[in-house]
Formats: sequence, C-alpha cells, structure tokens
Amino acid sequence: MKQSIVCDGEQLRDMFAAGSAWLEKSVPDINAINVFPVPDGDTGTNMFLTMCAVMEEADRVADRNVAAMARAMAQGALMGARGNSGVILSQFFRGLARGVDGKESINGGDWAAALNEASRTAYKGLSQPVEGTMLTVIREAAKAAEEAAATNPEDIISITEAAVKAAKESVARTPLLLPVLREAGVVDAGGQGIYVLLEGVLYYLKGELEGMKYRRPELVTSGLAGSAIISGISDETEEAYGYCTNFLLEGNKLNPDRIRRRLERKGKSVVVVGDENTVRVHIHTYDPGGVIRYATSLGTLHQLQIQNMDDQHVSFLEMQQERASKLEIGIVAVVSGEGLIEVFRSLGAAAIVPGGQTMNPSVEEILRAVESVPSPRVIVLPNNKNIVPAATQVQSLTSKEVVVVPSKTIPQGVAALIAFNYEGTLEENVRAMEAAMCAVKTVEITHAVRNTQIKGVKVKEGQAIAILDDSDLVAAADDVNEALLEALERVGVESAEVITLYHGNGIEISKTEQVVAELRNRYPEKQIESVFGGQPHYYYIVSLE
Amino acid sequence: MVKIVTDSGSDITPELARELDIAVVPLYLAFGEKTYRDGVDISADEFYARLVNEHVHPTTSAPSPGDFASVYRELAADNDEIISIHISKKLSATYDAALGGKEQLAGTKCRIEVVDSQSVTTGLGLIVIAAAQAAARGSSLKQVLEVVQKATRQVRLVGLLDTLRYLAKGGRLGKAASLLGAMLNVKALLILKDGEIHPLGVVRTLEKGLDRLCESARAMTDIQDVGLGYSTPTDGLQKLAERLRSLLPHIHPRVLRIGPALGVHGGPGALILALRGE
Repeated sequence: MKQSIVCDGEQLRDMFAAGSAWLEKSVPDINAINVFPVPDGDTGTNMFLTMCAVMEEADRVADRNVAAMARAMAQGALMGARGNSGVILSQFFRGLARGVDGKESINGGDWAAALNEASRTAYKGLSQPVEGTMLTVIREAAKAAEEAAATNPEDIISITEAAVKAAKESVARTPLLLPVLREAGVVDAGGQGIYVLLEGVLYYLKGELEGMKYRRPELVTSGLAGSAIISGISDETEEAYGYCTNFLLEGNKLNPDRIRRRLERKGKSVVVVGDENTVRVHIHTYDPGGVIRYATSLGTLHQLQIQNMDDQHVSFLEMQQERASKLEIGIVAVVSGEGLIEVFRSLGAAAIVPGGQTMNPSVEEILRAVESVPSPRVIVLPNNKNIVPAATQVQSLTSKEVVVVPSKTIPQGVAALIAFNYEGTLEENVRAMEAAMCAVKTVEITHAVRNTQIKGVKVKEGQAIAILDDSDLVAAADDVNEALLEALERVGVESAEVITLYHGNGIEISKTEQVVAELRNRYPEKQIESVFGGQPHYYYIVSLE
Repeated sequence: MVKIVTDSGSDITPELARELDIAVVPLYLAFGEKTYRDGVDISADEFYARLVNEHVHPTTSAPSPGDFASVYRELAADNDEIISIHISKKLSATYDAALGGKEQLAGTKCRIEVVDSQSVTTGLGLIVIAAAQAAARGSSLKQVLEVVQKATRQVRLVGLLDTLRYLAKGGRLGKAASLLGAMLNVKALLILKDGEIHPLGVVRTLEKGLDRLCESARAMTDIQDVGLGYSTPTDGLQKLAERLRSLLPHIHPRVLRIGPALGVHGGPGALILALRGE
C-alpha cells in the first residue's frame, strides 16, 4: 500500500523532536570520535545543544503552517548554534526553511526538495567546505531523497528511508575522503550526528517512537583497517606489554625449559616450544634487544618479528601525536629503561632504539629507526660513547640526511633534546644541541664489579661507585645514596640550576626519596627533580644543568 | 566611520574597547552543563580558580551566527561599514559564525567585511587595535582593510606555557603534540604560524624561557606595538616586562589578560608576547 503522508508544521516539529531525542543518546559516542576540525570532543554536545535551541524556538510557534515552523526552527538554530557543527546545522535549517517557504504543508517530494535546498545552503555557509564531513553526509542523503521522490513523490517514509540509508553509507565513507579520519580510524563525528538525527526523524514518521526508548543509535564504522578504537581492542587475553617478539631459534642442544625460565625474567606472555634443534619463541617484552642478544648467543634466529603492541592500543592523543610529528627534522634516541624512554618520547623524540650500556644496538637497528621517522632529516642521539660509532655508520646507509650529536650519557641526550628548536635549520639545531650537551654534567651511580684502585679512590667489589661524565670515578661508598652525595660534593654543583635524578630499576623508591630529601636540604636554592628512569645498570643517573 | 568588531578571543579589555570604540562579541565557555559568556558572566580570576580546582574541564565555543547578526544589526543602525576581525579559523568556528551573521544582513545597506586574523589572543588584539586606530583616523573601509591585512602578516606571537596539560585536554595541541605530556618539569614554547599553534621548543627554567621569548623580539626590526598577555599574575610577567623595557625602551607594551576562551588552553602561568612590526 502506498503511504501518503502530508506534513504540517506540528509534524515537522515532532519529526525533529524525535531526531533530537535520538541524537541525545548518541552524544557521548559522537564526542568520542570527534577529531575534525579540532579534536576537542564536543561535536555531539554542540549538535545537541543547537538542536535544543531549534526545538525551543519551534515550541513557541502556534501556527500549524509548515513554512512558519521551519522559519522558527531556522531562527532557533541561528541563535543557538554551537561550534562548527552548530554553524552547519544552522545553515541546514535555513535552507530547509527556504525550501518550504510559502507552503502550508509538505509531501514527500517537497521534503526531498527542502533537504536539497538545505544541503546547498549548508555548503554556501562555509568559507571552505570540506568533503568527508557532515556536509557530504547532508548532500548524499538529500540526493538519495530526491531520487526516491522521483519515483514515488507521495511516500515520505520511503524517501526518508532512502535518505537515512544514504546518510549511513556516506558516514562510513568519510574516512576515505578525509585523511585525518583515516589516520584516527574513525568516521566523521558531525556526519554521524546527521545520520542519527535523520534516523530519529524516520522513527517518528514510521510511528516507532516506543522502540527508540530501549535502543541506542548505532555508531557507524568505516570497515577500514585501523578502526580499532570503535570496534574495541583485539580480544586476545594476553596482557599488552611493550613489544610482541616472535622468532624461530635454531641450534644444537637447545634447552626449551631453560630458555623459557630465562625469558620469563625478561617479559610476559612467554611461550617457548620446540626441541633441542628448533625452538619457537613468543614473548612480550620492553627490551626485545636483550631477548634477541640472549637468543643469538644460543643459535641462529629466523622469521624474526617485533611489533610494538602500543601501536594496537593507540589512544586519540597518541594518534594526534603521530599525525603531528611529520616535522622537517626527526630525532632518534638510543635509550633503555621505560621511564627514560617516556622522557625522550615526551620531549619530542620521534623514534627510540632500545639500548645503552652493555647492550649496544646494531647499526641495522638504528638504521631502521632512522628510516621509520617520517622526516627527511634525522638527528641521532646515541647517549653512550660505545654507540656513537654504530650511529655514525648509519649516515652512509640511508638517503636521509643524518647527523649524530654524540651524546655520551642520558643527561647529555636530554639536554640536547631540550635545546631543539622546531623553527631552526639542521645546522643551527646541531650547533645548539652540541652546546647544550656540553653544558651539562652527568653523575652515574652503579656498583663495582671487582676490587680496584683508581686515582687514589679505593674500591671494593660490590661497593657503590659514582662516575662523572662517563669517564672519571669520583666517589665510592658502601651505600648508594652516600656515593651520590659524596660525588656531588666533589663535582661541585654551584653552576647548576637544575638537578635531575633519574632513578633506576635496581633501587627502592624509599631510598630515592631519602636522597632527594637530603639533596633539597643541602641545596635549597636549586630546582631538584626526581624522575623514574627505570634504567638497568645504574641506580641513579644525575644531571646537573 | 568604519566600525570594528571582534570576539573575546582578542583579549581586548572593556576599557580598550570603550576607548577605541570596538565591539567585542563574547565566546561561550561551558563548565559541564553551565554556559557562560566569556568576560560577561565570568571574570578571569573566577575562571582560572575554577580551571585549576575543578575536575570538569571547561570547553569553549564560538558565538552563534545569530549573536553576530544581532551585534551587526545594532551597529548597522548608525553605521554603513563594519570590519569584523576574528580568531584564526583553524582554531575556532568564530570566523564561520561571523560569516553566517553577515549573511543575515544581506540586502541591508551596511557593508560588512569579515576577516580571518590567522591569530588569536594578544596577537589578534594588536591587529584589532591597529584597525580601530586607523578607523578613528577616519580611514576608509578599504584603507582599514589594508591596515588589517598588513597587520595580520606582521604580527608575531610566541607563548611560554607553564604546563602543556590544558592545551592537551582541550585538543588544541596541533603540531605541538609531539611535546605532549612531558615527563620532566619543562615549560613549553609555542609559536603561532599560518594560523596554527606550532612547537618552538622546551626549556627547564623560567629565565631560559624568557630568553627565548626575548629572542623573538630581538629578531624583529621596526617593532610598532607590543602586547604582553598573561593568564595569572606571576613573577614571569614582571620579569618579562622588565626585560622588554630595556630591550625596547621606546615602546610601552600593552598588558592584556588572557581571557577564559584562550585561558582554557593555556592554563595558569602562561605568558604571551605579541609583536607587530612595520
């Protein structure tokens, strides 16, 4: 049976009242996927508030005349528009009002024509219309309505159905049109809002308002790879942890049980299976380099795969970070210790190569990091004198312009990174970073591996020792904190403004707190900071700037 | 006379607005459900106290096209020419909303020019001030527009944020995102370029931060006007003012309070140096 409905003003109002109610339920979802034009997570809120203003104005109209109602709604949108999406909605309603101007009531064909007028007006309202946004969704929905109306102008329900279907498909395509959405793995938030609004209108027309009560609008997904945020993170039960590392180890007299026990100390989700000639290894670790070095000491590696699992758990902000980091100059740093890695990342290092004292990364590992950075120019911070040669070799292996700023310690690397000027040229930055690197003093606290005597300082095996700038032994003591305090007295802290203490894996937090309190007590005029470095080998790495 | 309109993102104070006859359309600011008009319903002091102490992070939104239309309509009663200068459209919907408001007055005899300043806060403020001064001299619409366009090209804006936390919360980090969530206690230097916020670098101490801000002043010749923006009163503001006095003895910097609309992103302790060259 053909359904022939003619809408007057009151019905137009109730259509959009249902649309707004449906939209309200989708507000948190829409906010969550809001990355364009500004990822501030308020598109859903803005659209809903704008619709509230529309409906408030609509409720004041006493007239059953559809033109008067649409005019009032347009006025409401105009005054109440919030944010970019609100501005577009206000144009939408303005066009809608223009489309039904002079009419007492409308049929399906009029409705389709009004939607098209709304679409045209929305485009005209923006200084720079962008495709892949709610504009596209409005246009494609209106076009589908027009096509449906051409075959059956009386049937407002099937016309609206066609519009809703087209809107949904259009939303799913938005990531194809707008790279920002593609990178973030989401559909356009404003487009999603339009789809939900029209779907609410359709529910009203079909008389299915009851059904809306217990349901929620669907969040359209793009079906593109990378839409992990919406579809939820992978359902594997393994705990996400650093790098997922897989390889096949071939050798003689391999002992899978012993390998497993050893690897269990290096990470989580460890799976080791095989026999004495071939062992398959799977491990989640923060230090894939360490795992691989251990494995290569036993045999040869095959089918090696290392994946950063954080990549699968990327949050919005991190994605923005990736998107934003396409800078002219990228920085690669060699660092170990989860805290220190975080420090380098947070200061703008584009890639981290795991490594440091006693675990020097290969030329190839550094090269891979250099290649992974999306910048044509790369500065490498080796942060260890034994790694400088490998880093230097990378220069001849890549088409990128690579400069090694030869930082020998972590504090030198941090100081160099802080001196980076985003507006500067490569040469200017290298100069500034080298100067900053030389202005910092480093004290590292570790323990002596044997009895010795250096420059008159007697050292017993197991004692805590302090090393200045990676070369001179400046203090030795039975207690770690004592060694640090003594070293700072010897080195002299007068010229330093900031003392930063990176505490490592091998030291208890209460011990660190003690020494920080003592430092504040001894040097009240200095800015003293304590940061978790998580580094192996060194109890403390101290920077004097 | 040409009438100058801007939005509260320019941080033009009510006194300046009165003195230079500038109409300021407020942006909106929402703490959860409650909405305020920037600078009208909520003072800067009240705002920063709430920003720091409350769990709800406030959001800002542009004035509606209707807000602009009513301001334009009111002005059109006595004026035939309006220049409306707004926050960089890459940062806010304000410019598009103003265009929407202008459309409402299509067909009236009042001519309205809406301009994207490609700037914000104190930088936008300096552009608006230059426009208002030209208008007060009796310049024509075309002449004032030329002044605005020139000023837009010549305003340099650098900022020193005590923390990046608020910028990150509001999603306005843009290209500065690579500095996100610095673990060390660093202050971030930002620069406005092509209407967007870019990172300039980080520093460990206030003094070094002020050095870098002053470098910008030193790198520029023929400085005509200087704006000094601050969110909350700090030592930094005093020290920067002193340094500028010795650096640019012939210029009296305009000290402007960074209002809620931008303070949402800058947070407390933020400093902005805006310089307008010739």
